[in-house]
Amino acid sequence: MRRLVTFLGIFISLTLIYCTPKKGADLGQTPNPLANLGEYKAVVGTYGGSLRLTTTSPPKTFNNLMAKETSTTDITRWIFEGLTNQSGITTKVEPWLASTWDISSDGLTYTFHLRKNVKWFDGKPFTADDVVFTFNDLIFNEKIPSSSADTFTIDGKRIEVSKVDDLTVNFKLATKFAPFLQAMGTAIYPKHKLEKFVKEGTFASAWGVSTLPAEIIGTGPFVLSKYVTGQRVELKRNPNYWQKDDAGNVLPYLDGLEFTIVQNSDVELLKFKNDETDFYSVRGQDYPTLKPLEAEKNFTIYNAGPAFGSQFLVVNQNKGKDDKGSSYVPPHKLKWFTNVNFRKALAYAIDKQSIINIELNGLGYDQWGPESPSAGFFFSSDLVTYPYNLDKARDILKGEGFVDRNSDGFLEDKEGNPVEFVMITNADNTERKGILEIIRKDFEKLGIKAHISLLEFNSIVSKLFNTYDWDIVLIGLTGGIEPHFGSNIWKSEAHMHMWYPKQKEPATAWEKRINEIFSQGVQELDPDKRKKLYDEWQKIVSDNLPVIYTVLSASISAMNNKFGNVYPTPFGGTFHNIERIYVKKKS
Amino acid sequence: MKTYVLRRILISIPLLIAISFITFSALQLAPGTILDTIRFNPQVSEETVEKLERQYKLDKHWLVQYLYWLKGIAKLDLGYSIRNERPVSQIILSRALNTLLLSVVSMFFIWLIAIPSGIYTAVHQYSFGDKVFSVVSYIGLSLPGFFFALLLLFFADMWGIFPKGQLFSGEYASIGFFGKFWHITKHLLVPVIVISTGSMAVLQRIMRGNMLEVLRTQYLVTARAKGLPEKRVIYGHALRNAVNPMITIFGYQLSGLLSGAALIEMICSYPGLGYTMLDAVRAQDTHLVMGAMLISGVLLVAGNLVADILLVIVDPRIRVH
Repeated sequence: MRRLVTFLGIFISLTLIYCTPKKGADLGQTPNPLANLGEYKAVVGTYGGSLRLTTTSPPKTFNNLMAKETSTTDITRWIFEGLTNQSGITTKVEPWLASTWDISSDGLTYTFHLRKNVKWFDGKPFTADDVVFTFNDLIFNEKIPSSSADTFTIDGKRIEVSKVDDLTVNFKLATKFAPFLQAMGTAIYPKHKLEKFVKEGTFASAWGVSTLPAEIIGTGPFVLSKYVTGQRVELKRNPNYWQKDDAGNVLPYLDGLEFTIVQNSDVELLKFKNDETDFYSVRGQDYPTLKPLEAEKNFTIYNAGPAFGSQFLVVNQNKGKDDKGSSYVPPHKLKWFTNVNFRKALAYAIDKQSIINIELNGLGYDQWGPESPSAGFFFSSDLVTYPYNLDKARDILKGEGFVDRNSDGFLEDKEGNPVEFVMITNADNTERKGILEIIRKDFEKLGIKAHISLLEFNSIVSKLFNTYDWDIVLIGLTGGIEPHFGSNIWKSEAHMHMWYPKQKEPATAWEKRINEIFSQGVQELDPDKRKKLYDEWQKIVSDNLPVIYTVLSASISAMNNKFGNVYPTPFGGTFHNIERIYVKKKS
Repeated sequence: MKTYVLRRILISIPLLIAISFITFSALQLAPGTILDTIRFNPQVSEETVEKLERQYKLDKHWLVQYLYWLKGIAKLDLGYSIRNERPVSQIILSRALNTLLLSVVSMFFIWLIAIPSGIYTAVHQYSFGDKVFSVVSYIGLSLPGFFFALLLLFFADMWGIFPKGQLFSGEYASIGFFGKFWHITKHLLVPVIVISTGSMAVLQRIMRGNMLEVLRTQYLVTARAKGLPEKRVIYGHALRNAVNPMITIFGYQLSGLLSGAALIEMICSYPGLGYTMLDAVRAQDTHLVMGAMLISGVLLVAGNLVADILLVIVDPRIRVH
């Protein structure tokens, strides 16, 4: 008996220790976005040294076009380059492999003038043939299982690409396409290396991870030098790179990049703390333990501001019926979900500050509209916002006839149906689980019975795109700047219009207006007129709440102080100017 | 003997087909396909996803897909990994060697320690040495492998002696033969200790039990009575009889050479087959999962066969028909 008591005593005290809430990060500690950096001004660096990085997933292939995940593109982004580049700092399009371009007065023909001094890694010159080959034989090749043709297919019509001379390429569009120059950032591949694979029909498996590194030819600042399966990737400096610094030195400064492949972010953190790596992408939860080590371990934590990856609730408004004639969403639920005031009440009940404090350790930002505040030019601050206010939410629900009719503590609608639904999210994402739990508690305070169901990502996708049998989902998208690249979500006939996909006719007036905005926006070449259109779209979305946005995490990274020209931004990350990052000489 | 082996191999074919069929149908139970991450990309149109489905034959009924796979196997082609864009055989081969290295080294230590210590503890029952081994093996038995691995990794981190995870870090290529040997030893240490401890404890207990049982038999009394030296009694008579069940276990262990270490591989970030397999199941990369399953199945069948043949060699009482 005494033993049992002792055991229980130990058990209870351990539980207490474990459950005592940990102190969140002090909000005042959070560095202001870029406050410690000032204006970006690259200085002339010195050669030598390498950058040690970690990645949590081994590359599956080095064939950039066939890449299905970032494990490949995180590495190939240093090897392959496009005709244009979107600046990591200003997010504007800048000349890259093409030095200039002309646009015809009707906006349909683009003529690109390629740089003269660009060479492939094997010394062969980069020419118009490579550009034409990349588009006509790779991207538009029906036999190659890749999804890249979609960006260059406008209204079902492909862009016609033709060579004018060795350094001039012509692109002819069927209709005006405003984000064309951004899209031209797509990587260009060497014809002389890849043509034989296309002819043999083996392009998909060409340039796999067992290929000799010297065979993988690009134009970028770094060359693949070694891959140890599942363990390490090494890149070395491209000595013939076309970019030079202000003093005329050939870039990049670094001798190489070394990636160690580890199983998860915890190991990445451990390695960074032990000075085995130079960079760590900081999660909110790591900030309190990492911040005090800054001086001792000689690194700096940068906060570049709101990141792009959004997390939002979608409410199922699908009015369709399945093959057997029964509705995807039970009719009484559909009545609530299609009621904009019901959605507004839900939005008022989302306690963003608690989500930021608890789930993101204080390192996050409210999100009210579809564009991240970091999107710069396209971001509109003229949005309808729903600051956390349970009383207001209650009033709205009352006004719509949602009251507790049988005094069981929960709400019923006008017909007496209890307000009850299931919220799903993917089980592997602990942050989303946490967000959903906070939301559920607040919904409960309103008298709504909300249940959480955690599913595999793939089964959520099949619910959203095939069976449509769901109530509310919390899901996220990586996001970006160009609004048009989200048109598969916003146009009512699109399959990713999650709340009611593939509509024959827009179900509501505002959905109709969004369709118009996206059709006009893609054709509008005047940036200011274009911005006005997309400002309206952001306002409509925030007003009608087809998706209810939650929070954006801060884009925080930690980097060893020995490097110079480090200037992290939310859009470009820490390495958008990799060719200019250098190891400072000890003084 | 030859006909026996041949018959066993022939019988194993329907067994393997059954295993593969069950695996394949279980994979179909999970909703969605490997293309779902692409499907959730706003920049990819639905037509493109359908085109990809056709190109990878994912639009066919799953039974038809299974028959395609089976047809490939008949031609010794393990299929194509969509996620890795390369043949399954290449992936399995590159990862299997790492796993084999880990398993074979662990197995070597397990048997090297378990058998002699089992004999010693049985012969010297209730001696001090026996009690020490008992305590150690009970700890080994009751400590879950994953927890032990985490514990060791924790100490490894605290003292900074062993590297955490990986097999070949940066300097590998630049060091000499002995350097390489030391390098691999260092990296194998934690996973090998973890894998060995559990199995070693089990085998040691079994060996001790078998040995004790044999030591009590009448023929050993006879052997001693006719004045045989103790060493002959133990190693010539008792051991040969006590070791029979161990050979069955050995065969069973052979079957786990590639799959047995999966959990520890994941915890120790060891680049073996186990992690690849888990990744493939999560991504629903069907052919890769099937390939790894098939290899494990073949090893299971082969391991059992080897054990049976060894038994015949060791034990003259057993004959095959």
